[in-house]
Amino acid sequence: MIAKKRFAVPFIIWIIAGTVIPLASIVYYGFSSRDGGFTFSNITAMFNHDHMQALGLSLLLALISTLICLIVAFPMAMVLRESKYGKQGFLIFVIILPMWMNFLLRTMAWQVLLERQGVINSLLALVGLPRQEMMNTPGAIVLGMVYDFLPFMILPIYNTVSKIDNHLIEAAYDLGASKLKTYTKVIIPLTVPGIVSGITMVFIPALTTFVISNMLGGGKINLIGNIIEQEFTVNSNWYLGSGLSLVMMIFIILSMLLLQKFDKTGGQNLI
Amino acid sequence: MSELIRLESIVKAFDDTVVLNGINLSVAENEFVTLLGPSGCGKTTTLRIIGGFERPDEGRVFFDGKDITDLPANQRPINTVFQNYALFPHMNVGENIAFSMRVRNKSEAYIKDKIKYALKLVNLDGFENRRIDQLSGGQQQRIAMARAIVNEPRVLLLDEPLGALDLKLRQEMQYELVRLKKELGITFLYITHDQEEALTMSDKVVVMNEGYIQQEGTPEQIYDEPVNAFVADFIGDSNILSGQMVDEKLVRINGIDYPCIDGSEQGFPPGRPVDVVIRPEDIDILPYGEGLFNGTIISKLFIGVHYEMLVESEDGKIEWLLQNYDQHDVGEKIGMHVDPENIQIMHKPKSDAESAMELDL
Amino acid sequence: MKKVFGRIYILIIMMFLYLPILTLIVLSFNKAKSMSVWKGFSLKWYEELFSSRIMMGAIANTFSIAILAALIATIVGTLAVLGMAAMKQKTENVLMAFNNIPMLNADIVTGIALMLFFLMIGAPRGYCTILFSHATFCIPYVILSVKPRLNKHTDSLFEAALDLGASERYAFRKIVIPELKPGIMSGFLLSFTMSVDDFIITYFTRGAGINTISTLIYSQVKVGIRPSLFALSTIIFVVALVVLITVNLRQSRQEAAMAR
Repeated sequence: MIAKKRFAVPFIIWIIAGTVIPLASIVYYGFSSRDGGFTFSNITAMFNHDHMQALGLSLLLALISTLICLIVAFPMAMVLRESKYGKQGFLIFVIILPMWMNFLLRTMAWQVLLERQGVINSLLALVGLPRQEMMNTPGAIVLGMVYDFLPFMILPIYNTVSKIDNHLIEAAYDLGASKLKTYTKVIIPLTVPGIVSGITMVFIPALTTFVISNMLGGGKINLIGNIIEQEFTVNSNWYLGSGLSLVMMIFIILSMLLLQKFDKTGGQNLI
Repeated sequence: MSELIRLESIVKAFDDTVVLNGINLSVAENEFVTLLGPSGCGKTTTLRIIGGFERPDEGRVFFDGKDITDLPANQRPINTVFQNYALFPHMNVGENIAFSMRVRNKSEAYIKDKIKYALKLVNLDGFENRRIDQLSGGQQQRIAMARAIVNEPRVLLLDEPLGALDLKLRQEMQYELVRLKKELGITFLYITHDQEEALTMSDKVVVMNEGYIQQEGTPEQIYDEPVNAFVADFIGDSNILSGQMVDEKLVRINGIDYPCIDGSEQGFPPGRPVDVVIRPEDIDILPYGEGLFNGTIISKLFIGVHYEMLVESEDGKIEWLLQNYDQHDVGEKIGMHVDPENIQIMHKPKSDAESAMELDL
Repeated sequence: MKKVFGRIYILIIMMFLYLPILTLIVLSFNKAKSMSVWKGFSLKWYEELFSSRIMMGAIANTFSIAILAALIATIVGTLAVLGMAAMKQKTENVLMAFNNIPMLNADIVTGIALMLFFLMIGAPRGYCTILFSHATFCIPYVILSVKPRLNKHTDSLFEAALDLGASERYAFRKIVIPELKPGIMSGFLLSFTMSVDDFIITYFTRGAGINTISTLIYSQVKVGIRPSLFALSTIIFVVALVVLITVNLRQSRQEAAMAR
């Protein structure tokens, strides 16, 4: 054997210090009151009207942007699959490149475009159209989410779609399936693993973001991420912040379980 | 037998490589036709054009007298058994077989019956609910067959369907395919690079190379009367030698004259350079000096029923391959004889370069 | 028809992806501070960027943290892969499940959790806490890239080396490490880019006086966008472009060499 068990010791220590204890401390604070007693109030605080509204809005916006990403990414992945090898490499390069730019700067770009004194409004003014209020709207936040996360949807879908054996598609045609049937019965079901990981990679960061909503929502639209962030950085109420994080984690875990079920059934329930 | 498929001067190129150079082919109803050739000879492309997966650059495809060149694959009464089977991995066996019927909105009762029938036909009763990755290669092959036939196509295209199986299974499946063909009573168009497979199963063999059809005919014709050295070499073991006609029905090989049965009437006038094929089992062994020509045995292998020997000619220029039931020793000097009807005279093979040379003459 | 649709579609996506970036690049050369008026070409925002000591400090922090975190993660992760190979399948599965947590978890939760941990043990938040946190989320990526390289094949190579008379130490150095090297390299590079790119976890685990590029951008944007950030965007974009092109060229050259 090459390996010795003790090689894993630093890793195990790191897991305990970097993952287990920190997560345990969220649980600890989440169930504690300021005076150190046990309480459920940090958890039940989610039912507070503002918090419910933020959670609802987070779920809604994350769902919408995930859906938009999916609808935009799938045709893109198919176009990629069908383009010639050299061109394919170039296109993937072009999709990956923006991911290398800091996402704060990418989000800032939309701020520059959408602001009242921003680029789009200046262009509108040039042609004599009235300025639009685009910033600080849920729409702006969705736009920012789609812009930041779209490549994370395209790449996994492309990865699975590009591995589908061309013969399978030919076999579907050969057996009499129309283009549409070939998509719904063969191509899309075979793409489910990619779709699932794409959704995970878009939905979870979108659900938990506080940056995009802060930058494009102008601090006026609160998502659940913003509420939690503020509890930690502004109000220094770690107890409440931890409690709300625990509730949010439940939603993350639930959505992942749901997605995994789709993946296991081979996506047959998808259509 | 009436004609079912006709290809008329099909030309196909990928990028700048010409794959098919004007293919003309006719397949009759209920015939078992095999396209045989080495990889890259254009056989798969021919099949894909008939299946509707490729469009010819020139030429037309006719099916039952109708031009189907522009008909998409999903509207052709033709089904394909793909080389790698192309079974849908996200569906089980039953769903795979049901696919073509579901897209045609057949009733579930009908589909159920058909699946049962198809599975019985390929000797896999009760496999409906198996997952594809639980099947062996041979079973996958059978399911691919079952899936292709439930829709009752008039032609089944088979692209090297036995290529991925081991030898024993392959031989079993050969019988199986012939049986299936008989039971179904439909046309099979089969592709292989395995000459034995082609000879065993086919009614008609079409030998292809470099985008041209080299020869078509019954397996016997292809084996006994290859038209050129390529076909002779590709079909079975043979001695292929360069020679020249020196008189009517007399060919000279390596300085020795052999009587044969071809002459000007068959297109081989005196003076014409030719290729000569002599099958190894057609060379008789005689005592030294009593035959047409002599040689020394330089190696010997026992291959089950017979011995295979390499015999060097006396001037050392030719090695003859012989098959004989009697045992001879390495180093033994022998005489050899070939009956005139076993000497197959052929034109030099057609290739672009040589056709061009012919024009120059 | 289909081709035309494909081209138009690609064009629209490309415009969507690149017009915002292009806007930033153009504005970075604008003399005016305004985002809407073009007042002529100028490099003054680049001067402002490079003369900002805070920015230079943030850049230095970002890269030193990224290199150190990637290095630590690579060492700990690679050793972990070797260690887990010696363990029972069950133990390995448990460890891998824990390993996956930081990758699957939302960054905000990881950030908060680490922040609470540092508060609890009373560690002063600063450079070291950021470094520790970055290594924490990088280790899983190293393990995922190295693990597939260590398989039966590596085992038999190792045994072959021993059979041929190599000492364990020698066989490890000359056989196992070279076999793992592509995975180790990609794990390192992945860690490096993840670390440079991170904002959320850094945001929660940093102290008051310390900035990385990401946290500095965030605090500046909150106060008001200055065009020097456009200059920064342009520089980052160009660097990413150059790095990616170099990597791609090297890859295609290697592929070409392999094909031969």
